[in-house]
Amino acid sequence: MADNERWLTAHHDPLAALYTFSSCMALADLHGDGEAKLIIADLGTGAYNMKLKVYKGTNLMSENTLIDLPTGVITFHMDTTEPRVPAVAVASGSYIYIYKNLRPYFKFTLPTLEVNPAEFDAWGQARDDLLDVSMLYEILDSLRQEVGECGLTTRSQRFLMCPDHTSQTAFLDQHKGFILKRQTVVTCVSTLKKSHSEDDAISCLVLGTESANIFILDPEAFTILNSMSLPSVPVFLSVTGLYDVEYRIIVACRNGQIYTLKRGTKIGRPTAELTSQPVGLIRRDKTVIVATMDHHLHSFNNKGKRLWCIKLPGAVLCLECLELRTLSLTLVALALADNRVLIYRDKHLVDTIHTEDRVSAMRFGRFGREDNTLVLVLKGGGLVVKILKRTARFDIQDADGPSQGQVVKLNIPKKTKLFVDQTMRERENCVLMHRVFQHDLYRLRLSTARSYVQALETSSNPISLSQTEPLKLSAQVLGLGPTFKLRVELQNTSPSCPSLHLAVIFHCDDRVYSVNKSYIQIPILVPGIIHVAETLLTCVSELGISDTVRVFVVKGKSSRPLLTAVINMPVAEVFMAA
Amino acid sequence: MGVFDKLVFALGLKKREASVLVIGLDNSGKSTMLNHFKSEDQKSTEIVPTVGFNVEKFKARNVGFTAFDMSGQGRYRSLWEHYYHDCQGVIFVVDSSDKLRLVVAKDELDMFLQHPEIRTRRLPILFFANKMDVREAVSSVKVSAALGLERITNKPWHITASNAITGDGLHEGVEWLTNQIKENLNK
Repeated sequence: MADNERWLTAHHDPLAALYTFSSCMALADLHGDGEAKLIIADLGTGAYNMKLKVYKGTNLMSENTLIDLPTGVITFHMDTTEPRVPAVAVASGSYIYIYKNLRPYFKFTLPTLEVNPAEFDAWGQARDDLLDVSMLYEILDSLRQEVGECGLTTRSQRFLMCPDHTSQTAFLDQHKGFILKRQTVVTCVSTLKKSHSEDDAISCLVLGTESANIFILDPEAFTILNSMSLPSVPVFLSVTGLYDVEYRIIVACRNGQIYTLKRGTKIGRPTAELTSQPVGLIRRDKTVIVATMDHHLHSFNNKGKRLWCIKLPGAVLCLECLELRTLSLTLVALALADNRVLIYRDKHLVDTIHTEDRVSAMRFGRFGREDNTLVLVLKGGGLVVKILKRTARFDIQDADGPSQGQVVKLNIPKKTKLFVDQTMRERENCVLMHRVFQHDLYRLRLSTARSYVQALETSSNPISLSQTEPLKLSAQVLGLGPTFKLRVELQNTSPSCPSLHLAVIFHCDDRVYSVNKSYIQIPILVPGIIHVAETLLTCVSELGISDTVRVFVVKGKSSRPLLTAVINMPVAEVFMAA
Repeated sequence: MGVFDKLVFALGLKKREASVLVIGLDNSGKSTMLNHFKSEDQKSTEIVPTVGFNVEKFKARNVGFTAFDMSGQGRYRSLWEHYYHDCQGVIFVVDSSDKLRLVVAKDELDMFLQHPEIRTRRLPILFFANKMDVREAVSSVKVSAALGLERITNKPWHITASNAITGDGLHEGVEWLTNQIKENLNK
């Protein structure tokens, strides 16, 4: 492992056997002794053996068994008693378990949802043995088609998952006696300071649920203070402000959208649309930074305007905000699938940490007595604690930033009255102007097509595209006058066929020009070879005018020329001088 | 140094003066350790985190020590280097129960040893592997290994397990330091 000069490896335990995610880790001084502990909700095997673990320094200090899979761990102050020790809230299933001094203190249950009446009736009849197992299965299965899997209660979902008749019967017999309830689960959890913004002020819990709601809980009575709804399931929350004054909750949802909730709003306002599903959301100052599944890191302002977006070299596993108070800097750490942790300052990469495995969870903060500590949990269960050196600096050394040209302000002239009037006119008469333009365009195309057809019919073009005699002609006028030399180059452009019986004829007004050789016989034209035919042309007019000379290429006795070139003759010098 | 001076010092008629620098991470027990050397009436009952630095004077075996008790907090550690120039000895206190931050202590020690004022001098360094009474504390041998003390070849050093609250091991350590400073002064 290439050691990094900015980070000290304080602890490395590859055999810690932790299975957790960033949302299930927290750092807090749980005992008021000035030493921050690491709280990890361990998912165990993913099915059982879930534990709430607390590390003091490098030692595992305590373990509490959790009943269900944890989805979030957060520490918050729920009262003003001394010493000021925070409570731990563990979100798990439909419940929030509150621990004080690492002892179970309270369990909050999410409000139940309305059960589908058809489903309720079906289970009621099944309880009274009016429906047998297979009929119940059919009713529930058709209901699932109708309202979707998530519209059913957990019991119906489980029942539909039973593979055969006997297990379905067993399940029904076991559960039919209980009341049918439909519960939602917590997807994400955060805190919101209630009325003071100090570090150890009382905070409310903010919960996001699978039923696409946001609940704000009172920290003392654990009642729902405020309930808000979203169009999709929230997955990441960022909360700022005070509950009693003004607050703002930015939510990244499973549908790839970001919504904003403010005090007084009941429904989330769409703020930004992501290109893919979010894998992490953090907020710093007035910007929101979101990593998405399509390997991008986006930065938005509070209004949802995208400030920048960078392509990352790999898939992002987790995202963490590094707030360095000593340097008054906020950095973003991204764990990538290629065993690296990249640290960005805005959009500039300032540091890279290499790990021996993929990082599945990260938490930065005060751990023990050290302020700038980064705790990494690896995919294989390892625990790594990195401490930022006192002397570490994160300066942007590379000059990859915006170039000088982008900074220079363009000198844009002021809008004149004429410009404004013209714009107004264009805005008002846009339909008419467009029609006129289209009309003229069609006419132009028509006349172009007509001239083209005419040119083809009269063979008055210098390149013959006919299949039998593909020829190219170019003519040049040499000399100043009154005698000019006309030089005609002929080329056979066919791949193999030679051309025979060709002749060049010069045609002009005999009052203006006299041609020395008006008819030149061309020998056999081999493909690719340029043949030059030349003649002298004398200007005989004394009026000092110039005219056009037509060059025809004819074949045999045909009355229609193969090619035509029109040469605009220059004025003879002698007469110009005269 | 003349024969007369030597005689005077040997008889203990004149005291020698030496200033020592006390450094180490925050919460390692530097102020508590120095508190132990104060006379009964000067002892403070409650030790609070040092801000900046404190100057303490104490006497050990005929040598008057002026100890600069530096604050170990991260933001004050940059002050340490200003006192490197005029010290005759260094006491480096390590919290041996804080395994997580041994690496930070090592980092600070390395920066101290690499400092131009220190690198070339034959300065005696006394290490206190403090807080030996705490249950999670590691032995002084392990602290010595974690700090990489075996790499220090051009300076005399000594490590002592200590408990600054009860005073265990402190006198043993300071005795070693006094001998080293005396040797240096007699040269």
